[in-house]
Amino acid sequence: MTGHETYDVVIVGAGVNGALIAKQLTRARLRVLLLEAGPDTASAFDGYTRHLDHFYSASGKGPESAWPQAPNAPQPDTADVRTGDGYFIQRGPHKYASSYSRLLGGSTLHWLGVSLRMLPEDFELRSRYGVGRDWPLGYADLEPYYRSAEWEIGVSADAADQQHLGIEFPDGYDYPMRRIPPSYSDRVLAQAVDGMQVTLADQTATIKIRSYPAARNSIPRDGYSPAGAVDKRLEAQVLGQRCAGNTACTPICPIQARYHAGKTLAQAERRYLTVIAQAVASKILVDPVSGVVQGIEYQRYEDPDSPRHTVHVASGRAYVLAAHAVENAKLMLASGLGGSNGSNGSKGSNGSNGLIGKGLMDHPALYAWGLAPVPVGAYRGPLSTSGIEDLRGGAFRAAHAAFRFDLGNDGWRPATGAPDTTVADAVRKQGLFGTNLRDHLAATLSRQVRFSVAVEQLRSNANTVTIDPRYVDPLGNPRPVISYHIDDYTLAGMAAATGVYRQVFQRAGIKDCTGRSESAWFPEASYDGTSFHYHGMGHFGGTHVMGSSKEDSVVDTDQRSWEHRNLYLVGSGSFPTMGTSNPTLTMAALSLRTAEHMLVELTK
Amino acid sequence: MADPEDRNTGRAGQFADLSALLTGFDRIQLLGTGMVGSYLHAIDAALPEGVLDELLDAFGHLPPGDGAGAAVGAGAGAGAGTDAEAREAREAAVSSAVLDDPKLGPVARNLIVAWYCGTWTALPDGWREAYGTSPLDTDRVLSAEAYQAGLQWVAAGAHPAGALQQGYGAWSAEPETSKAPKGART
Repeated sequence: MTGHETYDVVIVGAGVNGALIAKQLTRARLRVLLLEAGPDTASAFDGYTRHLDHFYSASGKGPESAWPQAPNAPQPDTADVRTGDGYFIQRGPHKYASSYSRLLGGSTLHWLGVSLRMLPEDFELRSRYGVGRDWPLGYADLEPYYRSAEWEIGVSADAADQQHLGIEFPDGYDYPMRRIPPSYSDRVLAQAVDGMQVTLADQTATIKIRSYPAARNSIPRDGYSPAGAVDKRLEAQVLGQRCAGNTACTPICPIQARYHAGKTLAQAERRYLTVIAQAVASKILVDPVSGVVQGIEYQRYEDPDSPRHTVHVASGRAYVLAAHAVENAKLMLASGLGGSNGSNGSKGSNGSNGLIGKGLMDHPALYAWGLAPVPVGAYRGPLSTSGIEDLRGGAFRAAHAAFRFDLGNDGWRPATGAPDTTVADAVRKQGLFGTNLRDHLAATLSRQVRFSVAVEQLRSNANTVTIDPRYVDPLGNPRPVISYHIDDYTLAGMAAATGVYRQVFQRAGIKDCTGRSESAWFPEASYDGTSFHYHGMGHFGGTHVMGSSKEDSVVDTDQRSWEHRNLYLVGSGSFPTMGTSNPTLTMAALSLRTAEHMLVELTK
Repeated sequence: MADPEDRNTGRAGQFADLSALLTGFDRIQLLGTGMVGSYLHAIDAALPEGVLDELLDAFGHLPPGDGAGAAVGAGAGAGAGTDAEAREAREAAVSSAVLDDPKLGPVARNLIVAWYCGTWTALPDGWREAYGTSPLDTDRVLSAEAYQAGLQWVAAGAHPAGALQQGYGAWSAEPETSKAPKGART
């Protein structure tokens, strides 16, 4: 073991949460060490562009295709879900189908950018509908931090569009940038669909195609300055100050118009920030009597392709785990903190409540795809610009899961591998060539419509991240062992969502082509005689749940560990429930709240 | 003797003419992608020796359509009806002489997919057993440039995902359609 460094705060993980907290703390002149397990290959424009070339040349164009594995900081890949031989050890019964990335910038390097707030009712599911858990804080508590988060990460929307299902804004508030223009496809669908009524569990709802808030640069308001590409050179920074419709938010926005955590890191006060990439946190060192964290042990590797490394310890007055819902839980368990002792499955070692790693959630999602009666201009614009949000809330949640529709602008790509598979089918199966082929593709591709329907999943202590000494990575760190089950509440939501998409297709004259795709594989879950092919949304949550007492939760409302008072576990791992919004904005709001709390604590 | 690399008269020119007939795009559009030379090399390398020559030879022996054999630009000076009919005749001929041929058909279909998607697809096992293999006959994206040059994006009236951005808000406008114009092509 070499070296011993002391800081005010040591943060593990350079994703959106670590970056936001590092920025706030360093700007208040606290000395911060940021440890990142993966490499730092995307924080200068030239390196970022090499990732873009990687995407162009990749056979599969999935969410990870621009972001290859670092062997010493391995990551899940959706392509491994089928074979089961990826980073995750999947115990079933259902496959956990989501992924994340371990490098400087984290998974925000390939997120879509959907920045919806959670609904007020999402924080009170138990009180209102008798399911799930209530959060220990409410929408009103988080509302100011949502505003800060929207300005920190740069969200484009019009507040006037977003006031529905109880979402409210203070008078005079608006987003930092105007809404991203809805796609032509959105407008065609809205014309057919807006105002139609659907019934869920005897409740009638009126639906509408609605622009959603997106962390993609648009026309700024009130002197806001959109952050473009991250680089030292001014000419690179000018890039990406407006979305230019690259239709590749996921896996890589070529001009960095879509937010990623590197932008926030670039805004941190560098004099107070030390960033060490290729540094894998391997153990949290804790005083066994007081529970106070004394240091973070980490493994620094020079060569990404070799497991050779040196071991160091970093110390601070406070520690933040911002490594991801799965990695946070993994690191705690590997450090002997907070896990179940296995015998009764509830009580943990060290007298903790055994909740670390328990309650893993996602938004299991369905694709629905079809052909519109007229060209809608698929394969243009941000990957999506609108959704159907009206079924995210309502009394039906007592009976089954809520859901939201994301309306794709990229044809059938994620569902079937189009346009390549549409071409291959036309050439090899239909025998088309020449002008007939070209005409067929012109008529078909531009009419492709695709919805992604993300369904809420509630917390269950049976859904877990654990570790097992038999499964380790090249540095000897444990690989996550995942047990995952999609329960009837969510499956009934999938069934209801299926009914809704069929009505929408019918109303809009869209020919339903949803079915088993020969070229794309998705895991299955069965319910009531129907088999659903679902995919993950990358929305991991629930592994270090937030609560109002140390008996039933891991962290408090400040995301501060009940057991270890100078330790914070941040991110969607803290979520008691997921609602139906993409979690990044809520995580960002919580992290800003945590940073504010830490500033008070550390400057007392 | 003609320069084999000459885009008008040589092997590359013949390859461009065959590609135009198979893809439904104009020769001039294919030349405009800048990919003719690299596809010729890549496809040569992905096939057993001599197979691409056989394909080009079969194409060279198609009965000439009206003006089509000369393969110049976008049919300047020719009547639209005449060109469309000529093209139809050429397509019928290439169908029976090439696409229905057990050896040349799968290669021609791979060529079409390469132009549209920028990818090469390993030939079927039966084909490889009958006609031989090349170590480069594997499923892959031919190059980063090939991905971006895919004709599928043009056919869709769109742009390759992650490249050739259309500009802020362009996605709100009605799409341009990209059907093959009637006639006026070779």
